[in-house]
Amino acid sequence: MLVSDYINSRQRRVGRASIKRSLAALFALMIGLGGMMSVSSVHAEVPNAVPPKGDHQGEDVPQPIEFPHDIHADINGINCMYCHTYARRSKVAGIPPTSKCMGCHSVIATDKPRIQKLTEYWENKESPQWNKVHDVPDFVHFTHEKHLQRFVFNNEGMDVDNVSEVCAFCHGDVKKMTVAHKVKPLNMGFCVRCHEANEGPSDCWKCHK
Amino acid sequence: MSLKNLLNDWSHYRKGIEDGGFYEYEHMWGMVVDLNKCTGCNACSVSCYSENNLAVVGKDRMMKGQGLHWLRLERYWDEPDMGGDDKEFQERGGSFLPMMCQQCNAATCEVVCPVAATYHTPDGLNAQIYNRCIGSRYCSNNCPYRLRYFNFYSYYEESWPEPLNQQLNPDLSVRDKGVMEKCTFCIQRIRTGKDKAAREGREVRDGDVVTACAQSCPTQAITFGDLLDKDAQVTKLWKSHQVELGKTKQNKSDEDLRGYRVLEGLNTDPCVMYLDRVREV
Repeated sequence: MLVSDYINSRQRRVGRASIKRSLAALFALMIGLGGMMSVSSVHAEVPNAVPPKGDHQGEDVPQPIEFPHDIHADINGINCMYCHTYARRSKVAGIPPTSKCMGCHSVIATDKPRIQKLTEYWENKESPQWNKVHDVPDFVHFTHEKHLQRFVFNNEGMDVDNVSEVCAFCHGDVKKMTVAHKVKPLNMGFCVRCHEANEGPSDCWKCHK
Repeated sequence: MSLKNLLNDWSHYRKGIEDGGFYEYEHMWGMVVDLNKCTGCNACSVSCYSENNLAVVGKDRMMKGQGLHWLRLERYWDEPDMGGDDKEFQERGGSFLPMMCQQCNAATCEVVCPVAATYHTPDGLNAQIYNRCIGSRYCSNNCPYRLRYFNFYSYYEESWPEPLNQQLNPDLSVRDKGVMEKCTFCIQRIRTGKDKAAREGREVRDGDVVTACAQSCPTQAITFGDLLDKDAQVTKLWKSHQVELGKTKQNKSDEDLRGYRVLEGLNTDPCVMYLDRVREV
């Protein structure tokens, strides 16, 4: 791909995103005016799925950089799997390498203090030591891959762009958070209820190890 | 809950025997150990220790019978008249018998567990759920092979001091004291093999899953595979030695066929077949 093509496609993408953003703002305004709903975003439905129920108030987990999920996933509409690449092919969703952050942030928002902190890490050839938020016990085998296969890739009528709705089953509405918070209990009852509702496996050794 | 599980397991098993094929099972993992090839080198046992996060308990506790070797190598000296004069250490040496959980289909350990911490999986495996185990040790007492091991102590800091804790296998838990444990036929490897097959959109093939002991055996005495898979190496070996599941006594056309299952007369219906050692007399 030529550099000019790249810049063009990038501009197009940025343009589309800003249109989308302004549309979303308009939509929110309409809803606000109508006084029908108090939430500003409308959730897309995940077909062939019964979302698990249960709430949890997780503690604040301090992070080296206060990463804003809302700016990335909601305002700019970046797909969750753009950064958490391993979710679709391995057990863990994966934290993106700093090089992936710098792929955009060598040019975008370089004047912001958080980005400057990130750039400092990058120049010192260090990684930010992120702290784990959603930690299941060691005796549990959980694989992101299987769940994404079931609810996204092998799910008829499911749009991959809406993958965040599937992530929200267990991670809550990360789009509205800055640093991720644990808002689902992620205990055995929570898992089993969802497995029963969605006809997941019920064999002990499927999840316990 | 526990009674229901138990009855389900048993009716499942009965149906398997009566239909003569265990078709309701997804897999039926089985093993063949060729004692002719076994040299007693203990590589299988060592690899089991490292694969399954087994604690090294030390000599004293081993002597008390508190060892945690999921795969132990039993040593038998030959008949006294086969060797020289020394009755204790004979000229002809010993024979070895690697003993891992026999994954009995009619497991005696399962029926006695008061909390249903051990049950039969749809893979034909005898599973142990550590979280549910209360450490009553009934299962160990009821196992005719003595292949269940109890954690009398917490070994995490003792057996894996820093930096040795880095060697622990993350695919299975480190058991704490008060919990019974046993050979799982490397369930983590089975899981990985199945996941890989699912990712590639195919059935599990022979060779997708290899247990740690089978992988490390230098003479390839151990063969592992799915007994429901007609093309699997294990199935062929079971067939050629005329050993079948669901029988207390095998009807063999030839006396010289070496295949046998340990204590099969007890109707435990194990999934491990041994090939008897043949020696010159």
